[in-house]
Amino acid sequence: MPDTQTLVNDFVNKLKKRKIEGSQATARHTAELLRSVISQQRIPYTNQAGALINAIKAVGEQLIAANPVELAVGNIIRRVLHIIREEDLSLTTAAIAAAVAAAARSTLRPPSLQTLLEDVPDATAVPHTSSSGGDSEGRSKSADKNSRSRKLKHDVIEAVNELIQDIATCHEHIAEQAVEHIHQNEVILTLGRSRTVMEFLCAAKEKKRSFRVFVAEGAPRYQGHVLAKELMARDLQTTVITDSAVFAMISRVNMVIVGAHAIMANGGVIAPVGLNMVALAAQRHAVPFVVVAGSHKLCPLYPHNPEVLLNELKSPSDLLDFGEFSDCLDIGCGTGEPLLHVVNPAFDYVPPNLVSLFITDTGGHNPSYMYRLIADYYSADDLVIKRKSTAGN
Amino acid sequence: MWYRSPSFILDNQAQEKLLLQQQQHQQNDDVLNPPPPPSMSETSVLNPNPNPNISAYYQTRAAHHAVVTSDWLAQAQAAVAGGVSGEVTAAEVEDGCEVEKGGSVIEEFNSWRKQPDLAEAVAAIRALASVIRSSNATTMMELEIELKKASDSLKSWDATSISLTAACDLFMRYVTRTSALEYEDFNSARSRLIERAEKFGEISYKARRIISMLSQDFIFDGCTILVHGFSRVVFEVLKTAAQNKKLFRVFCTEGRPDRTGLRFSNEMAKLDVPVKLLIDSAVAYSMDEVDMVFVGADGVVESGGIINMMGTYQIALVAHSLNKPVYVAAESYKFARLYPLDQKDMAPALRPIDFGVPVPSKVEIEKSARDYTPPQYLTLLFTDLGVLTPSVVSDELIQLYL
Repeated sequence: MPDTQTLVNDFVNKLKKRKIEGSQATARHTAELLRSVISQQRIPYTNQAGALINAIKAVGEQLIAANPVELAVGNIIRRVLHIIREEDLSLTTAAIAAAVAAAARSTLRPPSLQTLLEDVPDATAVPHTSSSGGDSEGRSKSADKNSRSRKLKHDVIEAVNELIQDIATCHEHIAEQAVEHIHQNEVILTLGRSRTVMEFLCAAKEKKRSFRVFVAEGAPRYQGHVLAKELMARDLQTTVITDSAVFAMISRVNMVIVGAHAIMANGGVIAPVGLNMVALAAQRHAVPFVVVAGSHKLCPLYPHNPEVLLNELKSPSDLLDFGEFSDCLDIGCGTGEPLLHVVNPAFDYVPPNLVSLFITDTGGHNPSYMYRLIADYYSADDLVIKRKSTAGN
Repeated sequence: MWYRSPSFILDNQAQEKLLLQQQQHQQNDDVLNPPPPPSMSETSVLNPNPNPNISAYYQTRAAHHAVVTSDWLAQAQAAVAGGVSGEVTAAEVEDGCEVEKGGSVIEEFNSWRKQPDLAEAVAAIRALASVIRSSNATTMMELEIELKKASDSLKSWDATSISLTAACDLFMRYVTRTSALEYEDFNSARSRLIERAEKFGEISYKARRIISMLSQDFIFDGCTILVHGFSRVVFEVLKTAAQNKKLFRVFCTEGRPDRTGLRFSNEMAKLDVPVKLLIDSAVAYSMDEVDMVFVGADGVVESGGIINMMGTYQIALVAHSLNKPVYVAAESYKFARLYPLDQKDMAPALRPIDFGVPVPSKVEIEKSARDYTPPQYLTLLFTDLGVLTPSVVSDELIQLYL
């Protein structure tokens, strides 16, 4: 136990200090951390899944509190919780009669019209069956118990490994679809730098498509310059433009392809700053606005006031050199408040009606279809991690 | 214009034939009300609605909200008087036993429906439960056929109530396809069905609570909410928000002609929520102050659009053009298998309108009680299945009725 705690603390510190860049790296680290938490968690004989879920939730709460803006952390925690629930269910299905298991399965599914009338007795019956399942397990031989508890843990770790694998290969899966979307002699516009976008464009280039790319530089961090260099190295025709030139160029563009920070449940996108402007420009000229993102960026929450609550204000040093404006930022003068303020937000919120298509590792999807993917990846009980775990404590 | 489209011509012809038969029986009704135009007749031979010119659904709603115009009362009374003879003649046309059965389920439904706190769907399902209870069927198949007849007669009795139709469909679906009934013998299956039907009231109550919990995140401090009409779900949502010490302001539309907004504003004032009453035409004027629009729904249709009290569509249009979110609070048993293509694509639910002054007989009056709001003007639906985008609705319906 103590070494997982140090691992968790270590990761929390890294999150707090924003040492981990990018949602893919964060997602991978979170999944690896949770895997070690699971493998070191001692499992009681009864209610094994419950013990695992509580342990994950306790860790998850700390991680989310460390950086609430990095939604990938919460997504991975919810995915792992969902994995535990599913594996537990498949084990009980093997153990208990099929009819009861079918009833139990309905609790894992998101609520639907189909189960509306059946819901009430099932909700009361299911805790009974699972606890009675645990009891009968307790009564059976100890060798059997050990094998089962090891089986659950083993299955869960196996599934988490798959998840880590998926996160690692999501770029390739997305890039595979590039040829279907990018055609000969097209003009693509992107802003800033996203690894997913870069590999997407390169994959199309490798398949002998010749096309041009406009890269908006992505002030104030100028990641677009990096992207332009990378694209040039792969022999892609690249044009660097300023962010303010996007509208001027958009009429010549066939498609806008951008990366995202997170995709919300309603199909809205939390994206690097400046993208809302690009999306509006694209809408004005009816240019398709395509977002490429791995499924670990899919967040089951709805955005409430995302421009403020899901945003991060970065250091002003990106905009201004320290020496240049140091006298303006001096607190000593006058009212004790500096006259010059610098606002440097990290993210934009792009509403779902501005997005034409999402390309994830499972294929292309309409914004209004995102709820379907979310229903597949997450279970409805895990949407709020905080409240449940405090209630559990 | 839907009545010009070919698919409806056949419908119209069938309805006109019905109407001819009806008119022979409705001589005494004609004195009070002019015969309905062919496109509007929504009656059936089996169970004629006592007065096809008034939507029974909206009549009960108005009765619940206790702001009934005198004009309405007079018409309703006339309808009751005329209805007795109407039903007798119908009984003569059809063979007696069937109509009796249909009649009893309708009576049962009506007695449940009178309770103001009970949702329409709950009344329908309880009425169907009473059919099961009183039936002397000995096999599942017989019971199913009896239920089908009863639900058909219920549906045709008041075609204007969407949640009635949806609830009947949902219950029939449960009876025919549920896996819980498969392994049991007939008697236990029957008692189980009755038990589920009795519990439906709880489900409906629970649904409202879930919806009000889900929507709390969307109501932020200092926001202004526009509501239209009186929806029990929306009321529950705002009541929970007030109990959670959220600070918000409510704008109520007046909700002509039954003035349901007056009652809503009254209820809000009782909760100490700052509330402002608008006339229906002041919506666009006040929209810039509004942060979100909250409406209920009589029915949610397959496209994800809603059918709701007249005026919802124009509010949604105004809100859309000013980029304000429109939230719909509706229980999932209001999802109906309808796909209206435009406003006139549904049988209109008519209701009398009191203008305060006599209207010359040459002036036509638009009496429809509801309109259809297409899904592109709705932001999110709060249902007991979760917070949904409009496109989820068809997905749910397809899963259920596939």
